[in-house]
Amino acid sequence: MESSIAWIVDRIGELNPLHVKKLRKNIRKSDQQYFDRAGQFLERYSALLKSNGLDLEYGIDCYLKMIADMNYETVRFRETGEYSSKSFDEVNQRVYANPDVMQYYMHGLLLSQFLWKYHYDTLLLFRDIITRHRDAIRTYLEVGGGHGLYVSEATAVIGPSAVYDMVDISQSSLEIARQMTNDSRINFIHSDIFRFEPSGGYDFITMGEVLEHMENPEELLQKVSSLLNPGGRLFITTPTNAPTIDHIYLFRTVGDIRDLIGRSDLVIEEELSLPAEDIPLEQAEELGISVLYCACLKKKNQ
Amino acid sequence: MDKQQILEEVNAIFIDVLDNDSIRITPETSAADVEEWDSLTHIQLIVAIEKHYKIKFTASEINTWKNVGHMIDSIYGKKNA
Repeated sequence: MESSIAWIVDRIGELNPLHVKKLRKNIRKSDQQYFDRAGQFLERYSALLKSNGLDLEYGIDCYLKMIADMNYETVRFRETGEYSSKSFDEVNQRVYANPDVMQYYMHGLLLSQFLWKYHYDTLLLFRDIITRHRDAIRTYLEVGGGHGLYVSEATAVIGPSAVYDMVDISQSSLEIARQMTNDSRINFIHSDIFRFEPSGGYDFITMGEVLEHMENPEELLQKVSSLLNPGGRLFITTPTNAPTIDHIYLFRTVGDIRDLIGRSDLVIEEELSLPAEDIPLEQAEELGISVLYCACLKKKNQ
Repeated sequence: MDKQQILEEVNAIFIDVLDNDSIRITPETSAADVEEWDSLTHIQLIVAIEKHYKIKFTASEINTWKNVGHMIDSIYGKKNA
C-alpha cells in the first residue's frame, strides 16, 4: 500500500472533495524537506498502525471523522460565538472517557500534524527554537505530549545527554506517543500535571495545544512555570477560535493569549501567529478564523 | 415550498457567499465543480442557509451531503415536516 503524504491527500480527495482543496493548496506550496519529513512520520505512523492490526485507510477514516466533528462544531460556533463544551466534566464524558471517540480523535490529530500547514509550521518553529537553545537543555519536559512529535524533535536535536520526561493525563495518548517515538530515553509519566511533583526543575518545557482544554488556563500556566529551572524556557502553542469537541477555554484573539501570559510570571521571548487560512493575521482575527499562537516564554527578570 | 424553488434560493445564497455572479448550481453540483467552494466557504454557506430558512441542520445531515441535491433534500425535509 502506498504511504506517501501525496497518496493520503489523494485518498482524502476521493472521500471528501471539499476538505481536500485546502490540503492540496498547502501541498502545492511545500518544499522537499516537508515531503521528506512527512515520509519519515508516515513510516513511523504506519508501523504503529500495523502493530495494532490497522492500516492507513483506518487513519484516514479517523481523520475524516475528526474533520466532520470539527465542521459541525464550527457551524455551531459561528451561530453562538461560543465553544459547545464548557467544562472538563462535559469533555471527559463526551471524549476522554469515550474510547470510540478518543480512538478516532487521537489518530485524526496525529495525521493533522503533517496535513495542516499550521501544525507543520509549528513543528519547524519548535525545532528552530530547540536547536538555538540546545546547549542549555539538560532536562526536558513535555506536558500533554499526545503524538510525541515534539519530544522526538527534542531528542534528535539535544541528544542523549538530557533527561526527557513526558506527562499526560491520558494513558492512551502516552501509549501512542510511546509507539510513535520508540525511544527508551523518554520517561512516559501518567499523571495529572497538577499532581506532578518532580524532584527537580526543567530547562525546557513544551506544552502544545493544552491551555484551551482547561477551564482555568491561568492555573495551568502557573503550575508549569513553577517547574522551570532558573533561565529555563517554556514553549507553548494554543489556538484562537478553534471549535472542537474538547476545547473549553475560548481565546478570541492573540491579544487574549498575550493577556493571559501577561498575568503570569512569564514574559514572551519570541512568538509567532499562524492563521489557519492563507490570509493575514489581521484579516483572520476580523473574520474569527482560527490562529495558532506559538511562543517561547521565560520567567520575568531572568 | 418545492425543491426547484429551494434550488433557486440556495443558488442565490451561493452567489452571495462565494461572491460570484456566474454560479449556477444543479442538484448534481459538488464542491469539485465550484472553485470557491472550500471548507471555509462551506461553513459560511451552511450558516447562511440555516439563517435564510430558519432551520438547524444536525451533524449527521451536514456530514452526509455529497452534493447540492443532498443539501436541498435536507432543507425540503425540514420545511415540509
